[in-house]
Amino acid sequence: MSRYAMVIDLQRCVGCGSCSIACRNENNVPDGIYWSNKITETVGTFPNVRHHYIPTLCNHCEYAPCVRGCPTKAMHKLDNGITMHDPKKCIGCKYCEFNCPYGVIYFNWKEPHQFWKSNKVLLKGGTSSPQEEVEKIGAKKTPYFNPERGATLPASRPKGVVEKCTFCDHRVRKGLLPRCVEACPANARIFGDIKAPDSDVTKLLGKFRPFRLREQLGTNPHVFYVRDFNPAQYRPTKGGV
Amino acid sequence: MSEKKGLYGIWLVVLGILILLGLYTALKLFIEGHGLFNTNDVILWSLPLGVYIFLALTSSGLTLLAGVPLVLKVKKYEPFAKRLVFLSIATLMGAFVAIGLELGSVQHMFWVFFSPNLSSPIWWLALIYSVELVVLIVKFWRMHKGDWHSSFSNTLGVISFLLAMIAPLMIGSIFGITESRVTYFGPMMSIYSLVLGLLSGTALFLLYSMIFHRVTGDGDVERQTSLYNEFTVIFAYIASIAVVFSLVKFAIESATTVPEFLIYHKFEHAFGAWQGFHFEVLLGLFLPFLLLLIPSVRRSVGGKTVTSGLILVGTLMMHMEILLAGQSHPVGPKAEQYPEFISYFPSIWEWLVFVFALAVMLLLYTLGERYLKLMEVPQ
Repeated sequence: MSRYAMVIDLQRCVGCGSCSIACRNENNVPDGIYWSNKITETVGTFPNVRHHYIPTLCNHCEYAPCVRGCPTKAMHKLDNGITMHDPKKCIGCKYCEFNCPYGVIYFNWKEPHQFWKSNKVLLKGGTSSPQEEVEKIGAKKTPYFNPERGATLPASRPKGVVEKCTFCDHRVRKGLLPRCVEACPANARIFGDIKAPDSDVTKLLGKFRPFRLREQLGTNPHVFYVRDFNPAQYRPTKGGV
Repeated sequence: MSEKKGLYGIWLVVLGILILLGLYTALKLFIEGHGLFNTNDVILWSLPLGVYIFLALTSSGLTLLAGVPLVLKVKKYEPFAKRLVFLSIATLMGAFVAIGLELGSVQHMFWVFFSPNLSSPIWWLALIYSVELVVLIVKFWRMHKGDWHSSFSNTLGVISFLLAMIAPLMIGSIFGITESRVTYFGPMMSIYSLVLGLLSGTALFLLYSMIFHRVTGDGDVERQTSLYNEFTVIFAYIASIAVVFSLVKFAIESATTVPEFLIYHKFEHAFGAWQGFHFEVLLGLFLPFLLLLIPSVRRSVGGKTVTSGLILVGTLMMHMEILLAGQSHPVGPKAEQYPEFISYFPSIWEWLVFVFALAVMLLLYTLGERYLKLMEVPQ
């Protein structure tokens, strides 16, 4: 059985956010929730400052605290290592979100996609309301609603349950790459089977010195980061006193 | 006499109104969801969960106290036993109201039993408190029927005692195993929960007995003066353990340079911390503890009422402070959406959940006191 993992090459990543947009469209992610996100850091003191950007998603940890703590096994591991969530079993206790060291699980505080149910128009007789737009297109819930997401998870999750990245398990089972990987214009995301010696993921991990987020917690995350984007130059120096 | 009857009627009407308000809140929450709470993806657990923890631990504390006459067979405390068991049941019912509305669905509460995860402390907690509630109800029923010391009744007492000991440890472990939140992490949370449960349970029993005595004038406090005074000494001892734990906690927090603890210092909110001082601990634990060291305070009805009242409110505030402080800063990429640390004040709907839980509890106390002869002793 495969064990899926992702490598994110920070030298290739330009921080364009395509991964996040593609993820929202693919998984019908509601407002305020981010399956694919980022950590930005500004280091140094002006004028010597620099901006760092780390894309984030569920780490599909081997020893996932969210899975260990979930009282109903709604959060569970698939044989291929994907950490999956079953909203039908979720009791909305939010312990997974509380327990996740990476801040990648979100709760549906309200009915999702409420904006698109609104009858309000911006200009009376001029623009259509969000609801009219959805109806005209013949879509469900949102104009960009993807029914294929519903193959393994409710296409839109109800209020009162959590949700998070599933490595696009509905695509992976069909032999497709996760949507964020496919959408990345810089090929900064590499996905594959970490158990297979000839997979691109395995090769990359052997070529560079990867790091993972909060490794010291022992959760064994399966999202790895390699290299760093830094075009800065400096004159060779030994410093001074 | 008729004046008391009138007051009793008014009291029932007030409780009835509060329960109706609570039912409306429940309906509103079930329909609209938890967007009605002042919570977000950083502060996930708020007042309803704090109230649940407080009431559940208080119920455990009451059961442990009931175990003194019922399990450890200290017979002189038998006059308190039936009331302690009943208060524990009623308080636990209040806790279930709070957690039911925190989860947002009654169906959610039951679903826990159909798909168990044995590695989850929340699952164990749900199981333990559910079994404890059933055992306590059966135990109370046996006591009410005059069966205090049969082997069946004794077994029920032992089981409820053990469950009441484990449940607070389990509540503590929900937080204590969260490696990613250092302000919670470690075994101390479990022991702290047990101590606070015992403290609030003792405080509730004393406060309840003093108020009941004042309102009904049943003369019980005069008849059992020495027993209540002894009980207050036990109360002072338990408070002293809580004081030691709190001092250790303060010492760790003030000595550390771990960022999460530093944020904890900056964080001030509605539950006591202000200008760097934890007033909920100063006024809700240290002050009443110092008062309890004065013999005349311990012996007087007023002294017992004030100290137990302060400690009861103080423990609720302490639970809220601990609960919120560990959640006050966003984890990982959530820092992109939220500020460095977040303040919290409950919404009207969260307060109404609190009121609903209290009203259910108080209604049960009132009806139990009226119809179930709670000061009965075995023949």
